[in-house]
This record gives sequence, C-alpha cells and structure tokens, in this order.
Amino acid sequence: MATRTFPEATYIRKVKPRRGSVLTSRIFSYVLLTLGLLFTLLPFLMMIASSFKTNVEVLRVPPTFLPETPTLDNYRTIFNDPKLPLLRFYLNSAFVAVFNVTSTLFTSSLIGYMFAKFQFPGKRILFGWFLTLMMIPSHITMIPSYLILSKLGLINSLWGLVIFSAVDAFGIFMIRQFCETLPNELLDAARIDGASEWQIFIRIVLPQLSAPLATLGILGFMGNWNAYLWPMIVLQKIEVRTLPIILTWYNSTHTGQGALVMAATVLIMVPILLVFVNFQRWIVKGFTTTGFK
Amino acid sequence: MNPGRKREKRSKGGLAIAKSRFVLGVTIPLLLYESLGVFVLGWAFILMFFNYSSGRLGGPILGLGGSNPFVGLGNFIEMVKGTSVEAGLFRISLKNTLIFAFAILPLNLVITLPLAYLLESIGERFKAFYRTIYFLPVLTSSVGVALIWMSMYDPQAGWINAIIRFFGGTPVAWLSDPRAGFMGVSVAMWAVILAYLWQDYGYNMVIFIAALQAIPQELKDAAMIDGATPWQVFTKITLSLIRPTMLFVCVMTMLSSFQVFDIIQVMTNGDPGNQTQVLMLDIYKNAFRYQRLGWAAAESFVLFLIVMGVTLIQMRLLRTDWEY
Repeated sequence: MATRTFPEATYIRKVKPRRGSVLTSRIFSYVLLTLGLLFTLLPFLMMIASSFKTNVEVLRVPPTFLPETPTLDNYRTIFNDPKLPLLRFYLNSAFVAVFNVTSTLFTSSLIGYMFAKFQFPGKRILFGWFLTLMMIPSHITMIPSYLILSKLGLINSLWGLVIFSAVDAFGIFMIRQFCETLPNELLDAARIDGASEWQIFIRIVLPQLSAPLATLGILGFMGNWNAYLWPMIVLQKIEVRTLPIILTWYNSTHTGQGALVMAATVLIMVPILLVFVNFQRWIVKGFTTTGFK
Repeated sequence: MNPGRKREKRSKGGLAIAKSRFVLGVTIPLLLYESLGVFVLGWAFILMFFNYSSGRLGGPILGLGGSNPFVGLGNFIEMVKGTSVEAGLFRISLKNTLIFAFAILPLNLVITLPLAYLLESIGERFKAFYRTIYFLPVLTSSVGVALIWMSMYDPQAGWINAIIRFFGGTPVAWLSDPRAGFMGVSVAMWAVILAYLWQDYGYNMVIFIAALQAIPQELKDAAMIDGATPWQVFTKITLSLIRPTMLFVCVMTMLSSFQVFDIIQVMTNGDPGNQTQVLMLDIYKNAFRYQRLGWAAAESFVLFLIVMGVTLIQMRLLRTDWEY
C-alpha cells in the first residue's frame, strides 16, 4: 500500500478505525441509555394512561396501552368522594413538612453556627455526642417515641409528628461545615459596630447560609412529604393522616378498581413530583454533597 | 493610665460575656432537647430486656416490671433457638432481609455504574434530560412506586404478564404465588426487589456521575497515550479512583436495603407465606399490631448490630489511604 510510506497517511489510517469505533460506542451508549430510560418512564406513563381508563378497560387481557375511550370519571369520583377530602390531606402533609423543615432549618443554622464559630468548654464532647446520635437508625427509637407520644396523648395528632423532629444532627453538621468558611473579620466588624450576638446571627450569618439552607430545606421537605412508616404509626385516625398513608388506605378500600386507584395515585403523587423535578438540581447537589437520603 | 486601653479591656470583657450568653442560650435548650433523645435511646435499650406489652399496666417506672417482667437476655436466646412462632418468624425475616440486601447491592451496582459511565460520556444537552428521567423514581413517594408496580404485577391485566404472554410464556401470580421461585428465591421476593431497584437506581447514578466528573481528564489521557485500551482505562483508572464513592454507595445501599419497609409493606405485607417478611416489617407488626414491644425492641437492636457490622466490614474492604 502506498499510504504506508507517508507518515501523515499512517496517522490518518490509525485514526480512522478509532473514529468508527467511537461512533459505534456512541450509538451503543444511546441505545442502552434509552432502554434504561424507557424502563424508568413506562411505569409512570402506564399509571397516567390507566387513570383515564374505565375500571372495565383496565382489567382487559392483554392490557391496552392508551385508553380506548379516555374518561375523567375516575377523577370526578375522587373529587366528589366525601370520604376523601383531598385538600385536607394535602394540608396535613403540608403542615407537617413545613413545620418540620422550618424548625430544623432554624435549629441547624443556629447550632451549626455556634459549633463553628464559638469556643466553649465541652464543645468537642457535645459535638461527638451529636455525631453518635446521628448514627442511630430511627427504628431503634421508634418504639419508645411511640410510647412517649401515647403517654402525652399525641397519638392521632399532627403535633406528634413534629416534636421529635426539631433538631436534625445532619443539618447541624452541614451548616457547621459551611459556617467554618465564613471569615471571622465579618463577625468581628459587626461586633465592633455594636451588634449583639443574636443580631449578628440573624442579620449577617443567616443571609450567608441561603445555599446550604435551600439544599437542606428541599431535602427535608421531600423526606417529610414522602415519609410513611412513622406517620402511619402516629396517625391512626383517617382524618388526620398524611398523603402517603391516605393513598394506601384508599388502595385497600378500593380493591378491584385499578383505574380509580391509579387516578388517586396521580392526584397525590404527581403535583409534588413536578415541584421536586424543578428543584432537582438542588436535590442532586444535596445528595452528592451530603449523601443524605 | 491609658483611658483608651481601659475601655478596650472593658469592652472585651463585655464581648466575652455576650458570647458566652449566646452559647448558653443555645446550648441549654439544646442539651435539654438532646437529653430527651438520650432518654428515648436508653428506654429503647432497656425495653429489649423485658417482656413488655403496652396493653399491660406493669410496674411503676415506665410500666416496667410487674406484669411486664424482666427477662434478661431471654428475648435474644429465644431468637436464636426458640420454638415459638415469633422466634421462627424472626429467623425467616432475618433470612429474607439478608436475601433482599445481598440481591439489591450487586444488581444496583451492575445497573448504575455502567449507566452512569455511559451517561457521563454523552453530550451535555442529552445528559441533563436522561438524568432527570432516571431521577424521577427517586423523587416519587415509595407508596406510589409500590402501587404502580402492583398494577404492573397484576396476574391478569398487568403489563409484566402481558409481556410474558406475548413471548409465549406462562403468566405468574407475582405477588401471591407461594410456590413459584427463581434461583432459590421466591418470585414475590424478586418482584419487590425489582420495584425497589427501579425506585433506587437514580440515586446511586447521580452519586456515580458526580464521582466520574471529578476524575481529572489528564489521568485518562495519559493512560491512553501509554497505549491503554478504553476497557483498561475504565478498570485501572476510573474504577480505582472512584473507590471512595464505591464505598459510600455500597454502605448507603446496604443500609437502606436492610431497613426496607415501605415498598414491601404496601406490595405484599410479608405475603405470600411470609416469603417477603423482612425485619422492619416484623418489628412493625410485633410492636404495633401484636403489642410485643420488648420483643420488637430486641429485634431492632439485632437489626442495628447487623447494619453496623456490615458497614464496618465494607469500610475495611474498600478502604483507601490515598487521595488525588
């Protein structure tokens, strides 16, 4: 071959097959990724499609993918069901999530700031104690917490979901890391100007913490909103329940009405899912920097 | 005397007082609140040595003693060699939990690591789109995930059986057939494993993507120039550099799959024939349905020990003593 005598040509000859293999591996990547994508997406699409089917069509074998005669009957049934005041359950969930997130954000920033910027005797012991508490899984404390709530008469009360959640060791840990990067000069300048310690915290430290607080807040909201086991233990009466427990209750009281249950699932899951998708960037950031789930 | 100096001194003292007031103002409520945490923890620890039921009145302190007798290590001895129904159920739950966790970990890694690697190699614009979709199930409530998969597994109208029929196979009653099994594990267990994987893989994917992005391109280029094949670059450079992330992912995946509850409780509630009864479910049922709280506390402690043990072993196996 004549090409062999020219160095440039040799170069081209070497690169060419590589380019081809790059292209095939690209195609291979996209094919695999798209298969995974379909596997991830199809169950959601199936849920949405089923929610527009009749309860007869949803039982057909083989199943239809798109509804033959799309109907809003399932949604109408749910909205007109006096036993399922969806707005009330949304408010229950929102109360618990907002209350818990607000209180943990406040305590995390205050305590994290204190651990980062103040020296006091016993600080290391106190912090070590925190880290230990952080490692105790919640199933260990679940039983005595339940006993305490029942002694206090807080079973079936949304307040019962709130009192054990005011301090979050993980939040404290994260804010402490962040506060350590704040320059001491900033705080001292405010002290010289005569600001009190609380003023410094509220006017100077808190505004600096907006990024980690946003991450913690969104993760905390999501965790609270999707929580299942502990709310199920505490909230036994139907009218005080939060959304995930209502969804399982609705499923168990409407067996054999697959389309109706799927419509309820859409109504309970999808609105907040859209919110989470919009905050996805923060959530991913939170997961990858804190590993908190 | 220098008046300026004196003033400075006084203000410094005032500052120190203000600071310590602030610290006390924060730590005292915190200590009170955390003592509640320690009290709860201590109570959990004591409960496991008692035959405690919230239905009985018991002794004067926390209802312990009297009709809720102290049994010492009795609960743990019963777990190991007891013949009672709950001891048998505990051992079944333990076995199922181990099957679940040890199936989830490799399957999860086999899905997430290659997909993350492929996702990392494609164009920026598509990357965000793919990642968003893969991440959707992670954002979804696990109850919703369970209900979706229950309708997928429906023996008559479910999509899984429709696909099986399409390829000429015999449909399976995924969540209710106690006799059907695959590789020595019941199909019901495989069914919940698949649903759990589906919800969870997006989480590990984003963790892996972040780790892969952090690997300096120069290292891979240098290896390529030295004549390494892409496969060698992947195994020798990428895999060894993401080892700390591997550790993290393995520990987190194990931790959460040992404590699996939501999906299984909704999909099977431990059925058929206790084939999907896992420890958390057993703890929940014992504590809140059968009122055997002492027993449930002992089970929780065993689960805690297992989780700690597995974590420590993984940390040893995947330990690294370098940074880049």
